[in-house]
Amino acid sequence: MITLTFIEPSGASRYIQAAIGESIMHAATAAGVAGIAAECGGACMCATCHCLVVEAPDAGLPEMSETERDVLEFTSDEMQETSRLTCQIPVADTMDGTVFKVVGR
Amino acid sequence: MTDLATCPHSVDWSEFRPFEHDGMTEFFARKREEEPVFFDQGTGYWIVTRRDDVRAIFADPDRFSAANVHDPLTAYPPELVAYLKEEGFRRDKTQANCDRPKHTRIRQVAQSFLNIRQFKTREPQIREMVEAAVNKLRGRGRVDLVDDFAYELPARVLFLLLGVPDIDARKIKVWADSRFDMISGDADFEAKMEAGRQVMDFWNYCGAIIADRQKNPGDDYPSHLLAAHARDPDAISLGEIQNLTFGVLLAGHETTTNAIGNTMHMLLRDREEWDRLVNEPTLAPAYVEEGLRAGPPVVIWRRVTTEEVKVGDVTLPEGAPIMMSLASANRDEAHFACPHDFEGTRANARDHVSFGYGIHFCMGAPLAKLELKLVLELLSQAFPNMTLVPDTDPHWQRTILVRGPGRLLVDLNE
Repeated sequence: MITLTFIEPSGASRYIQAAIGESIMHAATAAGVAGIAAECGGACMCATCHCLVVEAPDAGLPEMSETERDVLEFTSDEMQETSRLTCQIPVADTMDGTVFKVVGR
Repeated sequence: MTDLATCPHSVDWSEFRPFEHDGMTEFFARKREEEPVFFDQGTGYWIVTRRDDVRAIFADPDRFSAANVHDPLTAYPPELVAYLKEEGFRRDKTQANCDRPKHTRIRQVAQSFLNIRQFKTREPQIREMVEAAVNKLRGRGRVDLVDDFAYELPARVLFLLLGVPDIDARKIKVWADSRFDMISGDADFEAKMEAGRQVMDFWNYCGAIIADRQKNPGDDYPSHLLAAHARDPDAISLGEIQNLTFGVLLAGHETTTNAIGNTMHMLLRDREEWDRLVNEPTLAPAYVEEGLRAGPPVVIWRRVTTEEVKVGDVTLPEGAPIMMSLASANRDEAHFACPHDFEGTRANARDHVSFGYGIHFCMGAPLAKLELKLVLELLSQAFPNMTLVPDTDPHWQRTILVRGPGRLLVDLNE
């Protein structure tokens, strides 16, 4: 298990435990993080798990796939350089301490 | 199939009438309260009615296999099986009825084309097509919104993606209807044999598209799949490409036709909501979601358990066939306040399960929503005084799977 931080749309910080291998979206929704609707359930279709990476360890996060980039570019008005769809990131032990800001809508 | 005599959750067939539309909503409202998971002797399936249970099944593809999604509800006549085999029909498990890891491999290839980028970049063309369809209605007084508008439009949009602009849209519709009748209708022997012949035509047509794109590649779905095959034959086979083309030509329009019919039917029955849309067309996306929630074009979706597993309070054995009632889940009182009201302002309408949930989530969902949004915007602005012709039977489709009005008579009142 690792610890992740989510800054919810209200500004509140949430610290959650995430199991290696599950998606970050899944860990966040299971913990009830506000603002992550995850309408499609992790199929990289809806962009309702969109978060900004505020802080990540040096090992960082895996590369973004073309599909993830397409979905972000074409569904979100708020895509930024640090944008990620959290359903597309499997939790790894190198991610301990990563901080995400929930974009929400 | 579970034996009724040993099944404590059985229900009399006369209660659950999966081919009927009238009474469905009331029936499921009662079952969600009294017996949210029950066995239906008539179909041999376990029926799941609550949204939380449906979502949990969708979210657990290892214990709830998709292998039975396209199985015929009643066995094909031996003559039909022999005919399809002789003619070379090879409907392999490719996408919606395919489990991991094969599903992951195929979905990655398919989704690299069928995604929001492709749909959005074609939005101007799609808008033109919807405008043309709206303009064809002008001056006609009384029209059937299904046959005169919603029937062909989604097929034409799909042809954009497939690069087949010159095919008769009605031919594709007949093929798709035949396929749904084969899988989930209650047709008699002759009707099933005729459906089989139509489906063979459909299958061969898809084969011809693939053969053509091998020689003349374009910016379309089959060409994209063939290019992926050329790069790596292990990523996707030619047989899978024919299956994917067949699948998208089937799933990509019938459902949208029904979604248009269902949503317009509900909107026009509720004058207050229709007038709100007319006055605020920017609400179209919200009405799209509410329409999909309250009138899902696919009312039932299937799974089969791979091990003993609990659904709600009921323990199902391994191999138990399940029908998830999407129509019921979308009206679950536990999640949607006043679920039987049609409200464009409903804050959580997007929480419906009309496109599924999880790894099998419908890849055409963004396209369907885009089409529906344009349809609602343009129809409401072109014909703000449109009214339903009262007391006409909508001729609801008789399949267990898809649901929509067969006709929707309206007066345009221009």
